[in-house]
Amino acid sequence: MRRLGWIYLIAIFTFIFLPVIVLVLFSFQDSRLPVPPFDGPTLKWYVQVINDRSMMEALRNSAFVAFTSAAIALLLGFLAAQGLSRVILPGSVLMRGLLIAPMTVSYLIIALGLLTVFNNLGIRPSLWATGVGHVVINLPLCFAILFAAMGDHQKNAERAARDLGASELQVVFLISAPMLKPALLAAYFLSVTFSWDEFIIAFLLTRFDVTLPVEIWSMLRSGLSPATNAIGSIVFLVSISLLVLLEITVFRKPKS
Amino acid sequence: MTADVSLKSIQHSFGTFQALKDINLTFDAGEFVVLLGPSGCGKSTLLAILGGFLTPTSGHIKIGGQDMSRVPPKDRPTTTMFQDYALFPHMSLRKNVGFGLQMRGQSKKERNRRADEMLELVGLLDKANHKPHELSGGQRQRVALARALAVSPDVLLLDEPLGALDLKLRRQMQDELKAIQREVGTTFVHVTHDQEEAMSIADKIIVMNQGSVEDVGTAEDVYMRPKTLFSANFMGELNTLPPTQGEPATNTVNCVRPENIGQAGDVSMGQAVLENSAFFGTYHRCHFRSTGNDKTSYIANFPVGTVPQVGQEIPLFASNIITLETDT
Amino acid sequence: MTLEHEERRRAFGFVAPALIWTCAFFLIPFAVMALLSLAHLEGRAIIQSYDLGNYIKIFTEPSFFKSIVVSLEITLTVTVLSVLLAWPLAWIIATQVPPHYQRLAIMLAVLPFWTSYVVRSYAWALVLGQNGVVMQGLIGIGLLDEPIQIMATRTATVIGFVHFFVMLLTLTIYSNLIQLSPNYARAAADLGASGWQTLRHVILPLTLPGIMTGAFLTFVLCIGDYITPQILGGNNELTMPQLIMLQLGRRGDFPMASALSVVLMAIVTLAYAATARWLKMERV
Repeated sequence: MRRLGWIYLIAIFTFIFLPVIVLVLFSFQDSRLPVPPFDGPTLKWYVQVINDRSMMEALRNSAFVAFTSAAIALLLGFLAAQGLSRVILPGSVLMRGLLIAPMTVSYLIIALGLLTVFNNLGIRPSLWATGVGHVVINLPLCFAILFAAMGDHQKNAERAARDLGASELQVVFLISAPMLKPALLAAYFLSVTFSWDEFIIAFLLTRFDVTLPVEIWSMLRSGLSPATNAIGSIVFLVSISLLVLLEITVFRKPKS
Repeated sequence: MTADVSLKSIQHSFGTFQALKDINLTFDAGEFVVLLGPSGCGKSTLLAILGGFLTPTSGHIKIGGQDMSRVPPKDRPTTTMFQDYALFPHMSLRKNVGFGLQMRGQSKKERNRRADEMLELVGLLDKANHKPHELSGGQRQRVALARALAVSPDVLLLDEPLGALDLKLRRQMQDELKAIQREVGTTFVHVTHDQEEAMSIADKIIVMNQGSVEDVGTAEDVYMRPKTLFSANFMGELNTLPPTQGEPATNTVNCVRPENIGQAGDVSMGQAVLENSAFFGTYHRCHFRSTGNDKTSYIANFPVGTVPQVGQEIPLFASNIITLETDT
Repeated sequence: MTLEHEERRRAFGFVAPALIWTCAFFLIPFAVMALLSLAHLEGRAIIQSYDLGNYIKIFTEPSFFKSIVVSLEITLTVTVLSVLLAWPLAWIIATQVPPHYQRLAIMLAVLPFWTSYVVRSYAWALVLGQNGVVMQGLIGIGLLDEPIQIMATRTATVIGFVHFFVMLLTLTIYSNLIQLSPNYARAAADLGASGWQTLRHVILPLTLPGIMTGAFLTFVLCIGDYITPQILGGNNELTMPQLIMLQLGRRGDFPMASALSVVLMAIVTLAYAATARWLKMERV
């Protein structure tokens, strides 16, 4: 039984890590094809990618869309969670359902819907259009995380603050936001990651100012190359750094 | 700061459920009022109406002579001390206590001075820089009190503030609460379902049941001379005496508290057998069964050293008989 | 106006911006798309004919209908395989790893989650290709004489998907497992159950909510994904998203793409209804 467990563990971890290891390892490949045998290491593909202007442009675009759309989604989701956790409104269940609904719809359908409407209105595909789509997909996430984090404890503290004379804005900034800091940061970080990594909405709703996943996609069409491994490794490194940063700043608070 | 309160024909419904039915009450300035009743009796609804969290369906509230029925919580001369204290977890005690003054635009220096003064009143000045999670339950309760009093309200509303504490601490906090109320002179309106707590702190007890006021008075009034059977039962244990033979049937009933039954007294209750007894420190709680036709059972508290043997038959007498109308 | 009305008005003010956003950029676009699915293409012009022509075509023409079958087959295979692989991993982490290291272990187990989605599919293309490490490795140790074709087959698509969803399901099942009181296992053991019986009759049924939540997520994300089948599966057989993209790209046939999307959406809704109903039944 015990041995079986170990065999399973080794097999599953190999499965999970195999693509990542291959990706990173062959980004240091010397020859033009990222397949065995490994003949590196070299950093030349990293140099090539970093000097690739359209790639760096796409990286900046992605970062811009990710940070902006995540901020809007967070703000809207936070306000909605605040409102719906405060009192029971007529139609509360319906409103919650509507806000969560985009989470169960595939990104392709959301993208297609927006594309249809934007076409009809004569709005050109752009980074802004992509950002709008990314808010649509991240708003349910932010709302759900924050709504779950607002318990009775939170509600009572807000009520006490109002009783002591705080205005709506003072309640939000002095009580709700500080109390929800971990949930706010987690929701923001997840939203940034999802937007940063999102392909299909960005693919259908941008034309010239593409985002990073779209740029990588077009790179794939010209075949396998260690340069793709290099940019993939960079993206992975950025995500992991953000994750570690979040883990250290938010969730590793001294307990007592 | 203190003010009187008057409630006139207050009614409140949640949908079809009538939570409060025609409440008329007045509290004097500086009085310690306790709203007492079982859960669901409407006492917390009444407190929420006083605090401005609910508008009554009909009726008027006056505080210090001014109509407050439609004034939001933050503009009322009341503050509420919540059941779970609702301390702000990310602020130090000093900031918590000074929060209300900060909202009123007082300078940092001024509000810190006042916060420290309040913390000293509740004996927690040495912990002014601590966060709420570092405190025990009783200490949190004191901070909540200090925070609510720091803005000098005319009326302080306390929503079962001692409910989360264990029994020993609760008794200790009752005494402290009473002492602090005497010192600041503010009108306190305190909600509880614990009749011992009510008796130990209240100047005026208001017994509530099913949305109505059953009884109003001092602890002694409501215990010794309750106005209704509900009130009498809620305030303590009660024995019901069987109707006297031969008298015409009435809608009144005679009751007697366990400590008023003994081997001597005003009225004879006939012979009874002691079935068992238990020692309670200052008295024995004895179960008797009448040997008459009715076989009524009684509970009597006998002083230590005067308890008969189990199975022994003795004559019982009652004093301080309470005559009450039955519900019919 | 009473104080409660005032409270509600304020609360609604907080919810309104998010509702407006969701209506404007989600609900209305979907309605427009549903309406468009009733139109058809003539040359390059879209004619609004309000008929079910596109839907009839989807369910009668084999090339269209097959994509529904392919998508469902792939999605169900992936969901089942992912649950089977993820459950033991989640269980080992939740019960065999010391509590102090569990957070680290679970983060490690889902680390590749954080690679870019496009890049992850590309990485599998590298691994599974004719010259990739798997084939070279198998030939190297003598298990194969020459490489077999995995890339551009359904197998490659399924492997790519399972990789992603094993991580997702490990998370949902793990969070379900750690919420269970250890007293369940103790009570079962106390009543004479063996370790295996406890697992089979007590722990496994208690993790069904986590499994179902994760399985539903897997279903939704898998059936709607374009990248993985496009990169790993190739164009030999098309999934629904691939077919939708084909309609858009080749002819600009928005009405047909919309109709396919509505069908896709309907399938997901059915899956949701089944899951929700099943979960509700379990709870009673």
